[in-house]
Amino acid sequence: MVDYLLIESTGPQAGPGGQRFLDDAAWLARGGEQVTVLLVDNGVAGAVGVAAAAAELLRAGGTLWVDDFSLRQRALAERDLVPGVQVVGIADVARRLLADGVRAVWH
Amino acid sequence: MASERSGTDMVWAVPRTDVLLKVLGGPYRSELVGTAFRLTQALLDCGATVQVWACGDATGLTSTALGDTLPVNLLDRDRSYPSTAALVRALVTGHPGRLSWYACRFCCQERGRSAQIAQVRMRPPARFWEHVDAAGKVLVLGAS
Repeated sequence: MVDYLLIESTGPQAGPGGQRFLDDAAWLARGGEQVTVLLVDNGVAGAVGVAAAAAELLRAGGTLWVDDFSLRQRALAERDLVPGVQVVGIADVARRLLADGVRAVWH
Repeated sequence: MASERSGTDMVWAVPRTDVLLKVLGGPYRSELVGTAFRLTQALLDCGATVQVWACGDATGLTSTALGDTLPVNLLDRDRSYPSTAALVRALVTGHPGRLSWYACRFCCQERGRSAQIAQVRMRPPARFWEHVDAAGKVLVLGAS
């Protein structure tokens, strides 16, 4: 089993790439891989409101992180996000990146 | 001013690090650069060794032409904000032996940014593989 840290920075407004990235993450999670997706910068918009791709990732067993700094910059709060999301700091991301066996991809 | 050190690259070896961050994209286009700085600082705070390879417009972050401060803020003339070059200098000198900053020589030359601060080592793109080889993890941030 591979341990993935997938970082989405673009968000829905930048086109379909962000949603497809989350779809890929859900596909990996359904396949039994350990998947953590971090939404950062404009990517945090992918967890606001209905956020179908984010919800599907959580249903598939993936973990969804949202960067607290990016949220604050947009005057967003945890209550604005799809249920099940975890708000994390950049230190959490650094520790995860340094963990043994974790493969990281930025989009 | 940093030299290209092309004459010594034949014997110089890339120091091994826990993480290599390859950064593409300059400031003001997005939050990418700010996030790259935040992640670099967080990795260093965790005790990790880090190398940053600046490519494309990211080579402008450490141009000597930036000076140490941003232009005066007309709404707050008494406040001084550091340039990205000053930020990189402080990060590298503040973490001796744990952070190395490299700039792609081709991208520097293509953009007229060959004058880099002393804390930056320019490297030919054909040697990028050596940096990947010397890193435990590689993360590419942004696109050119």
